Amino acid sequence: MFTAVLAGEVVKLRRTTAPWVTLGCLMAGPLFLALFMWIIRDPGRAAQFGLLGTKASLSGIEATWASYAAFLTLIVGMGGTLLLAFVAAYVFGREYSEGTAKVMLTLPVPRPEFVIAKLVVAALWWLAIVLVVFAEAVAVAVWLGLPGITTGAIASLLGNLLLVAGISYLLAPVIALVTVWTRGYLAPVGFALGMLLLGNVVGHTGWAPWFPWSIVPILVGSVSTPVDTLPVGSLVVVAATFVAGIAGTMWCLQATDNTQ
Amino acid sequence: MTTDAVVTTRGLTKRFGRVTAVDDLDLEVRRGEIYAFLGRNGAGKTTTIRMILGLIRPLAGEVRVFGEPVRSGRPEWLRRVGCLVETATAYPNLTVRENLELHRRLTGAPARAVANVIEQLGLGDAAERRAGQLSLGNKQRLGLARALVHAPDLLVLDEPANGLDPAGIVEIRGLLRSLADDHGTTVFVSSHILVEVAHLADRIGIVHEGRLVEELDRAALVAAARAFSAAQLTEQQRADALLTLELERYFLARTDGSVR
Ligand SMILES: Nc1ncnc2c1ncn2[C@@H]1O[C@H](COP(=O)(O)OP(=O)(O)O)[C@@H](O)[C@H]1O
Ligand SMILES: [Mg+2]
Repeated sequence: MFTAVLAGEVVKLRRTTAPWVTLGCLMAGPLFLALFMWIIRDPGRAAQFGLLGTKASLSGIEATWASYAAFLTLIVGMGGTLLLAFVAAYVFGREYSEGTAKVMLTLPVPRPEFVIAKLVVAALWWLAIVLVVFAEAVAVAVWLGLPGITTGAIASLLGNLLLVAGISYLLAPVIALVTVWTRGYLAPVGFALGMLLLGNVVGHTGWAPWFPWSIVPILVGSVSTPVDTLPVGSLVVVAATFVAGIAGTMWCLQATDNTQ
Repeated sequence: MTTDAVVTTRGLTKRFGRVTAVDDLDLEVRRGEIYAFLGRNGAGKTTTIRMILGLIRPLAGEVRVFGEPVRSGRPEWLRRVGCLVETATAYPNLTVRENLELHRRLTGAPARAVANVIEQLGLGDAAERRAGQLSLGNKQRLGLARALVHAPDLLVLDEPANGLDPAGIVEIRGLLRSLADDHGTTVFVSSHILVEVAHLADRIGIVHEGRLVEELDRAALVAAARAFSAAQLTEQQRADALLTLELERYFLARTDGSVR
């Protein structure tokens, strides 16, 4: 029966624009990055573009594959976390904004199955975005002819993107919990934004490896130079956050009143 | 509790802050009957229905459906229940048929069930239209169709006449009557309009400020109304009432009862 529940959650996205909007948002990342590289590659062009050129050189971007890959990982880690929060808030929050929660919850389906199915849909959606953006990024880099592109380097970018995307995903159930708890989109997206900022603040302190929303920032280097391996403790923290988020969402759907 | 009780509530109570929406309510709906739950706006009808369906939790008291307390373990009992709570809602991006198909798969009803309810509720012309673009009346019909897809033993309908025109109301009334008479379906239907249910219900429970103030069968209702009319109404008022009825019949005849 779970396959029917999962198929149902996929069907609910039919003809909606949200998957394309989120894809478009993240696909803008490599394009902006490429524009920066194209400008700073030529000192004359950089001067001609004035402010943009100065900014590009100031932020330490070099027109190399290594720099391109590092910044792309940063974009997927930071911007993507917000997008993923939107995805999670969308699949859960839509039932409230469309008033269909009461329809869903009066079906002869155990409510935890909806939670799992929606999280699976969010995972597939997020994975698809990341893979498309990866392919786009490689194509753009090849077209730009960035120095340092090798098969090994491309594989390592893929590995890094999947790691960052995966760890970001482990935080998504908490967003689902906030959505179900508040029965809307606004709170979870606000919450995600707040956690992104807080994570970057805490990321500068000694608590960084222990705060779930600081772990992606330290991994992608938004608070310091990127780390190669995460402490085991950090992995335990995000895994625990994942489990707690799922359990909390299931509990919330089961135990709290659904007045619409 | 008699053995043929399909829905039983005992001491059912629900408060929202300082508002007591449902107050120590004892109900018994018997197998195969149409029970109308009649009350003015804010009387507690929807809140009662939400508790019967397990959408919200009672503060005190209990609900049994088919003899089992609701909210215990697996929601298998919902396979035997069709419902429409307050405003009819649907996934706006899906067509009428897709919405019904989604519901059919999750209730495990046979494949032909969707075509049957589309026919039954006169949704043939709207079947391929998106739910978000339907007229109010057709939205309501879709909500009713969904309640019927899986041929439930118990129908719980919250003001099902909402959004329907007079011809539609008559049509739905006939449909509910035939479900009860020919299929033994038990119907629990709420309304705030007495005449709407006077011709339909086997028994009527009148609810006011969350309390059941009176329970009548149809014969008792008609007798009470006659006595009231004889004692309290002038000849002119009775003539006006009769004229109103005749005008309605004239409208129905002119439009062939097929207005949607
Ligand atoms: N979610 C809620 N929060 C606060 N008050 C509510 C809520 N739902 C219903 N009420 C209140 O409870 C009372 C009964 O409402 P309801 O059951 O919707 O009545 P009815 O369906 O008979 O019109 C009303 O006073 C209403 O304002
Ligand atoms: Mg109501």
